Amino acid sequence: MALTLTNVFTKTARDRWKSTVIGAVTLALLLLFGMAVYRDVDVAFWDQMPEAIRTMFGIPEGADVGGLAYGAIYSGYGALTMAAIALAAGAVAIAGEEKNGTLGLLLGNPVSRTRVVLSKAASMVLVTGVGFAILWIAAIASPVILDVDIGSMHIEALMLMMFVNALFYGFLALALSAWTGRTGIAIGATSGVLVVGFVATGLLPMFESLADLARAFPWYYFSASDPKFGGMDWGHFAVLAGGTLAFAGLAVVGVNRRDLRGQSEGRKLIDRLRDNTVTARLAELLAGRARVSRIWVKSASDHQGLLYVIVPVLFFMSLLIGPMYNMLDETMASLADQFPENMLALFGGGDLATPEGFYQIEMFGLMIPIGIITATVVVATAALAGEEKRNTMGLLLANPVSRSTIVLQKTVTMVLYGVIVGVGSFLGVAAGSILGGLGMDLGNVAATTALATLLGLAFGGLALALGAATGSTAIAAYGSTGLAVITFIANGFLSINESFDAWTRISPFHYYLGSDPLLEGMDWVHAGILAGLAVLGVAASVWLFGRRDLRTRG
Amino acid sequence: MTDRPAISTQQLTKHYGEVRAVVDLDLEVEAGEIFGFLGPNGAGKTTTIRAIMDEIRPTSGSASILGLDTHTDSVEIRRHIGYIPGDLAMYPNLTGRDTLTYFANLRDGVDWTFVDTLAERLEADLSKKVGDLSTGNRQKVGIIQAFMNRPDVLIMDEPSSGLDPLVQRTFQDMMKEATADGAAVFLSSHTLSEVQRAADRVGIIREGHLIAVEGVQELRSKAIRRVDLYFEEPIEASVLEAVRGARDVEVRNHHASLSFDGHMDELLAAATAQNRLRDISSQEADLEEIFLTYYRAEV
Repeated sequence: MALTLTNVFTKTARDRWKSTVIGAVTLALLLLFGMAVYRDVDVAFWDQMPEAIRTMFGIPEGADVGGLAYGAIYSGYGALTMAAIALAAGAVAIAGEEKNGTLGLLLGNPVSRTRVVLSKAASMVLVTGVGFAILWIAAIASPVILDVDIGSMHIEALMLMMFVNALFYGFLALALSAWTGRTGIAIGATSGVLVVGFVATGLLPMFESLADLARAFPWYYFSASDPKFGGMDWGHFAVLAGGTLAFAGLAVVGVNRRDLRGQSEGRKLIDRLRDNTVTARLAELLAGRARVSRIWVKSASDHQGLLYVIVPVLFFMSLLIGPMYNMLDETMASLADQFPENMLALFGGGDLATPEGFYQIEMFGLMIPIGIITATVVVATAALAGEEKRNTMGLLLANPVSRSTIVLQKTVTMVLYGVIVGVGSFLGVAAGSILGGLGMDLGNVAATTALATLLGLAFGGLALALGAATGSTAIAAYGSTGLAVITFIANGFLSINESFDAWTRISPFHYYLGSDPLLEGMDWVHAGILAGLAVLGVAASVWLFGRRDLRTRG
Repeated sequence: MTDRPAISTQQLTKHYGEVRAVVDLDLEVEAGEIFGFLGPNGAGKTTTIRAIMDEIRPTSGSASILGLDTHTDSVEIRRHIGYIPGDLAMYPNLTGRDTLTYFANLRDGVDWTFVDTLAERLEADLSKKVGDLSTGNRQKVGIIQAFMNRPDVLIMDEPSSGLDPLVQRTFQDMMKEATADGAAVFLSSHTLSEVQRAADRVGIIREGHLIAVEGVQELRSKAIRRVDLYFEEPIEASVLEAVRGARDVEVRNHHASLSFDGHMDELLAAATAQNRLRDISSQEADLEEIFLTYYRAEV
């Protein structure tokens, strides 16, 4: 039995180590890179930033140059990235094996469900720990390499808090995965908790009356104590560690109490409507013949769940930002005047004193591009590599359709999804502006969402091309989102330091907000460059996919 | 188009790095015949089919279907073929009928009365989601999908996996009806009995090489028979081993079994010379036995 458990443990670790190590190494390199950029700029202006923004990025007053890099790279992006990687591992731990139909096979061996869950949990702790070991080494090595004085920074405390924070989300996903057997629910719900918590703990302290509400979000217990300067807050640590253990317990209970799922997708609302004679015709129209009428219609129908999540979230967040702007603390606005412009580039740029700037920081800087890129990359990844992974591409290609037709039809879906999320965001921002009486130029808002959509299509095109070239969903998804994260961060950092500013042109994000479209309107050259990147991705996909052997499963 | 072979490969070769999956494969399948493509697991059957289907590209050589090049004319070819891949996978969130509709739409429609007839014959439930179906029932949807456009060429990789014997028989009838209408069937299998029952000709592939192509009748005319003899008393194996054409003689008390391709009267004479024969059964050897007897040393 011990051998079997060791096998579950090592196999899971083997399956998961790559993404963690790649994520950690990338963050480590970014830390080095960030520190190098900071080293050459005057960073005194951080002290004039509003408390809330600094809290959001974990940078206290009087921080020296090292603190800024640790704060921006590790406490912000780093903690988010490592939590997201743990989350993905937790989500597929049980539900992923059920989806592949391998869990039944695994449990055909003399090993209990409890032990499978615990082995998977243990391997998740190990793999995440390895990731943090890499981050830790980089945290110690970077200042030495760059000859930067980091003062009395509590690196160990930061690492430990980031570690337990990542495990918190990993185990929440594991518990949901174990209870429901669905990776979609585990990923969706956990990332909701993660993103909403991250945004809320940054946003709520801006409003005096709402500041205490931040405690309701788990992210607070990681960020509020600012471990790298404040050292360990064992109370907050206990909240996160306790939550992690509780989720582990819930996962064990959850996986033991229910039937294992087959490869079936389960019964959805539409199936129930189909069974009812009154609604059968409508359901047939919605889910039946209509959705298989064309390749692009089918792939659009396959991913609709994604839109049900992303569009309302972006719409309502964008809507709320308008009235919220009016509630903004007066001092915030006046403080914001003193913001060094280049510093704001870190958050996608934007001036808190104007509605446009507030929207740029809160929505356009990060949330809207994340939403659109998620939609386009998911569709593009599933388009070619996904069908190959599921082994359905061969059957599809047995019909009289060329490979390029398939690429182009799936591209239609990707464009449609990008546009739908873009329009949803535009409507949210427009409604928010009208509701808050902010008087933003709606033409400029439309131009900005159009640029965001084109940005999403550029990364979607990349995902499509990577999938076309390799047939691997992992390469398509991680390659394109990885490049998006790196170019986003690079765009922010490079613009801080004037001597690197020209280099932002290598980042697609430069062509998104670089022209200040919320204030200046559409920059057609930038739009053309982003559209060109998207077209290039699709053209490369047609070329690459037409030239290679289809993969078989496994 | 019809005077060309339904399927033809010329020196078809596929290497995966060092692995020579298929080597210099030349074969022709004519309209109106069922061609059994037989070989052990890993022999190169699926690789051959995937190359013919333009899923993978040959390292060298070429293939054609109905006289059209499988790569350059692949879209035109697919109007005329039905295909069941090995390890069939479909969209688990679609019902059987949705799945068929999806593919039918890609073919500008099919005759739904015919589809319903096929479903009825195979007892396929098209209202359930494919993901909820058992392996055999999923395979039925795959079979309907391949037959529904009345293709000129059917290419099927291990199509009977998971089917119960009754449905297998219906499936064989369907293949025979298709060839009666002039279609060609390329049937890959490692199940010898299936090929034996259905095929007109058989190609035997081993380690990437096509080692024989023969008519099923000719193969059988190699006349190996499986003979079982039951005696009143225990018998010595040596009595039977001495007969010309006897192989693999096994004796267990009163019962002897052997492979035999000699003259039956000589066998009977030897068997009854000193023993009382109570019962005898003789049947055609299956392809496996023929295969093992005649092709073991090839390649």
